[in-house]
Amino acid sequence: MMMANNIRPEPPAKTGERLLDVRGLTIEIETRSGPATIVDGIDLHVDKGETLGIVGESGCGKSLTMLSMMRLLPNKIKVTKGEANFAGRDLQKMSNSDLRKVRGGDVGFIFQDPMTSLNPVMRIGQQLAEPLIYHRGMSKADARKRAGELLKLVGIPGAEDRLDAYPHELSGGMRQRVMIAIGLACNPQLLIADEPTTALDVTIQAQIVDLVKDLRDKLGMSVVWITHDLALIAGLVDRINVLYAGTVVEDAPVDALFANPSHPYTQGLLASIPKLSDERSTRLSSIGGTPPEPGRRPKGCPFAPRCPLAEAICHERVPSLEGLGQNGAHRVACFVAQRKLEAA
Amino acid sequence: MSVVPMTTTPIEIEPPVSLWRDAWHRLRRNKLAVFGLAVVVILAFTALLGPYLTPYDFLSQDLNSRNLGPSLSHLFGTDDLGRDVFSRVVYGTRTAFLVAIVVTFIAVVIGVTLGALAGFFGGWLDRIVMWLTDMTMSIPNLLLVVVINASLKTPIASWMESRYLATLNPFYRETIWVDFLLVFGSMALISWPPYARLVRAQVLSIRSRPYITAAQALGLTNRIILMRYVVPNALGPLIVAVSAGLGTAMVLESAFSFLGVGVNPPTPSWGNMISDGLRVWQHYPHLLAAPAAVLGLASVAFSFLGDGLNDALNPRGAK
Repeated sequence: MMMANNIRPEPPAKTGERLLDVRGLTIEIETRSGPATIVDGIDLHVDKGETLGIVGESGCGKSLTMLSMMRLLPNKIKVTKGEANFAGRDLQKMSNSDLRKVRGGDVGFIFQDPMTSLNPVMRIGQQLAEPLIYHRGMSKADARKRAGELLKLVGIPGAEDRLDAYPHELSGGMRQRVMIAIGLACNPQLLIADEPTTALDVTIQAQIVDLVKDLRDKLGMSVVWITHDLALIAGLVDRINVLYAGTVVEDAPVDALFANPSHPYTQGLLASIPKLSDERSTRLSSIGGTPPEPGRRPKGCPFAPRCPLAEAICHERVPSLEGLGQNGAHRVACFVAQRKLEAA
Repeated sequence: MSVVPMTTTPIEIEPPVSLWRDAWHRLRRNKLAVFGLAVVVILAFTALLGPYLTPYDFLSQDLNSRNLGPSLSHLFGTDDLGRDVFSRVVYGTRTAFLVAIVVTFIAVVIGVTLGALAGFFGGWLDRIVMWLTDMTMSIPNLLLVVVINASLKTPIASWMESRYLATLNPFYRETIWVDFLLVFGSMALISWPPYARLVRAQVLSIRSRPYITAAQALGLTNRIILMRYVVPNALGPLIVAVSAGLGTAMVLESAFSFLGVGVNPPTPSWGNMISDGLRVWQHYPHLLAAPAAVLGLASVAFSFLGDGLNDALNPRGAK
């Protein structure tokens, strides 16, 4: 059932060309006591054909960044600064009708909860056909045919017979496959998967990860995979951005991150993954404390209050993301890690 | 490289069932709801086919056979003017259905429009609509209807009469429509707020559901999202409310007619028949019993049907 994917078929060509380039995006939420910053000047980018993993604990702004980038958030949450360029165009400044063409057309979304992300009163074939009719101008019959192909593509047994099913007739894993099919309907250049496996069983999680991996290689698109499960995406992504309290604290190629986690937060995250080789009596490692609440961010490094290595400077100034080593592909926002490297 | 297969064994696929058919199956299993539906259907046909079912005209008096008890020639007996009570009850059904349907229709149109706009756009529009709703609901229903009828009926009737005398146009002579218009208008005026509240709450809750965000992420327009995603999902509770609302409107119409602020005699209404019957019930109980029983039956039937629809359309709540 599971596929051991030792040899990657053909990795999509990585041209180094920026597909998505988010710069200094700041997101604020209106609260009773005034606006509070949730995401603070985040920078991230995805190249063509690249798969980026965004990792961080709940509430660190992972999903928020992606949703607000596409202007999909309620009115109370606002992007106050920064830009999000997709294929060279700023999504924040785009007209609503242009933005609608990007949504679903160039950028596909897969959401966290397949149970509630499908319209319960619409047959799945129709939900699949909707973006095809709207973005590709297909006729209803063509869209239906393509919808059947898409269901087959995501591995739903009896695909064509399933077109007339309602979401409640499918299991969670099947629904998530349908969501993926909808996200892929218009052959997007970028697929944003927002914790697509959180609501699923562990075995189904692995199937979904393998499915996305397969489809990515087949269709040659870029993927942003948001998760709080580092281990799950290790075999899927090219690069990982670790988010903490709405900022990127470490940006590294996946191998470098696992081999040499440099930010104390990343180290904490990796240490908290249980290993089969651990002694039974070993306590699971955890990071003490909780992330700062929006509106109560510390003055310096946002992680400083929980950081075992924090120094005086960490409480005073915010570290910027600086490249480590020769080529600068591994970047970290930590005074201590940066100094250690300089000393070495 | 093929896509990961879900499983190697073929899966038996049940034929897909639509939500509505599913709901119908659930409704049929509910005995009370089926009873309610049957009664409602019978009453509706009675109202529709009224003139063909009644052996007598509802107005024709036979002073030789006054206050007769039920018999084969007069199923429900006759009243103090010798009118056939069965015929009057049948015509009362017409009145009840006419008033209930028209009033509910107007109330639903007003309520759904205001509620959907308020829920969808929020902000000041929402505040104004909700303020209007609360204000209307805070006024006692009967009081409002009495005030409207008392203050408008006489002036309009006398204006009509003066127009008739001035123009001799027969249009101005027929005052029964004024009656109905006032009843429709005043009842619709007090009936819309619950629909507005319901639809607003529905739209608010549906708006924040993940599948709406998912639809937006697909680049669909607000219009498509509203028509295909929001409205169909709000329909279930609205159908339930309308079914219950029809029954309420019938009772309300009877209540107003009973008090003399609704449909005026000689137009038959269950309410004014009950009112007439009440004065002589010790001597001629059938004059009270017949219209009261039918009114009670109708009210119970609509509420059973409403409950059954509620369970059928919201299976998550019922299971």
